[in-house]
Amino acid sequence: MIVAENVEKRFGDALVLKHVNLRVEPGEVVTILGASGSGKSTLIRCINGLEALSGGKITVDGHDVSTKAGLVAARRASATVFQLFNLYPHMTALRNITLAPIEVLKLPKAEAEARARALLEKVGLGAHADAYPQQLSGGQRQRVGICRALAMQPRYLLLDEVTSALDPEMTGDVLRILAELAADGTTMVFVTHEIEFARHISSRIVFLEQGELIVDLPTAQFFAEDGGLAVPRIRQFLSKMKKD
Amino acid sequence: MRYADFTPYDIVLLLQGLGVTLALFIGTTLIGLAIGLLLAVVHHYRIPGCRPVIVLVTEALKNSPVLVQLFLVFFGIPAFLHIRMTPVEAATLTISLNTAAFAFVVFRSGIESIDRDQIEAAKVFGLDRSQILRFVIAPQAAAFSVGPLVGILVNQLQVTSLISVIGVFDLTKIGNILNLRTLQPFIVWAVIGLIYYLAAKTLALAGSRVEAALRKSVKWGGI
Ligand SMILES: Nc1ncnc2c1ncn2[C@@H]1O[C@H](COP(=O)(O)OP(=O)(O)OP(=O)(O)O)[C@@H](O)[C@H]1O
Ligand SMILES: [Mg+2]
Repeated sequence: MIVAENVEKRFGDALVLKHVNLRVEPGEVVTILGASGSGKSTLIRCINGLEALSGGKITVDGHDVSTKAGLVAARRASATVFQLFNLYPHMTALRNITLAPIEVLKLPKAEAEARARALLEKVGLGAHADAYPQQLSGGQRQRVGICRALAMQPRYLLLDEVTSALDPEMTGDVLRILAELAADGTTMVFVTHEIEFARHISSRIVFLEQGELIVDLPTAQFFAEDGGLAVPRIRQFLSKMKKD
Repeated sequence: MRYADFTPYDIVLLLQGLGVTLALFIGTTLIGLAIGLLLAVVHHYRIPGCRPVIVLVTEALKNSPVLVQLFLVFFGIPAFLHIRMTPVEAATLTISLNTAAFAFVVFRSGIESIDRDQIEAAKVFGLDRSQILRFVIAPQAAAFSVGPLVGILVNQLQVTSLISVIGVFDLTKIGNILNLRTLQPFIVWAVIGLIYYLAAKTLALAGSRVEAALRKSVKWGGI
């Protein structure tokens, strides 16, 4: 379980996250919605330890990310897929995927590679194992990014706008893979602007407004007239997203 | 005035001089690159208090004449610390530090040329500092650095000629000796210059081979 309690994050004087409380149980897909600058990425980066908390506490399966040992354990439990893929450009797709399993999980090379190839096969990149990132399209790179995360056999997948750098066709490819993962019961914390997709795969939706988590509802209720839509800010946000 | 013609033995003298020049160059290059690399790594990890010191010292080394540095080391340090220093020691120390300063700048920009995003990815996947350095930073920084480093080293090879001034018997010093003996400056200095030129060319050629090999093994279209 991922638990965020009273999380606070400051950048200088700016309070970017204010007393955020969030729980993600195994098997859930939780989508974080919110306007640009509301703190979605920052929250993800606090969970995976790329930003230090200014207050409050985050634990992943009980491991406190603000302690050194806790962070190591928390990072083993979760894996991140990045908006801009963040692949290692000097390594092949295969090596991008096997690096951490071999060096961190200490898997034998042959086993790590067999697993990586199976993952690449699954996302339709079986023939591209030896390609370097710049030889791949954006959508293909992101699929490698997803394989790299899955190769760690994480209990939680953290995804921050993983399709927003892709054109619509490639977005479809990536979303299909994520939908399959969700159907398989993968636990995900998902930041996206793809509202329809979020509605389709999420078990819960939370809404960040200027660093405050103002709504946390099961998906159906979030989109119900007497649920999320009853909150003016959310109605406004959703109608604006539909127009875009 | 005693002067004499060239003798076959002069070839041996020249080769000895070249040997001293190359030995000093290779020695100071190895020491200089190692120190430069160490400084770049220390700089990268923001070890408290180290950054300003490193920047100040390397800036001073890069922006003052090597000859002055050589005099400071050879005459200044022994006088100040009451120690003895041979010309070879002083030359080795000075050129090594000078090479280190230039190498530091190249390694630093090699490291800084790497996208922070990749390093963040490596971190969240649980790689520790030394693993990130080894697998993510070093291969890319190396491919980036070889070209500029070769340029610097070709220059440092020429710079070694300054050490003749404090009495190291390098190629230039041999040139001096031959010149005084034969009074044929045009021939002597043309030959000496040609030898430096050939050594530098060989170095540049070897460097571009290494660079090509590195880029091939690192093979990424990025830079
Ligand atoms: N490293 C940083 N230093 C200073 N301010 C930052 C930093 N990172 C984020 N911020 C600020 O924190 C706020 C929240 O940023 P964040 O990236 O979390 O928003 P977001 O909800 O992910 O937005 P978007 O939808 O555009 O990705 C913004 O005002 C941003 O300017
Ligand atoms: Mg963001």
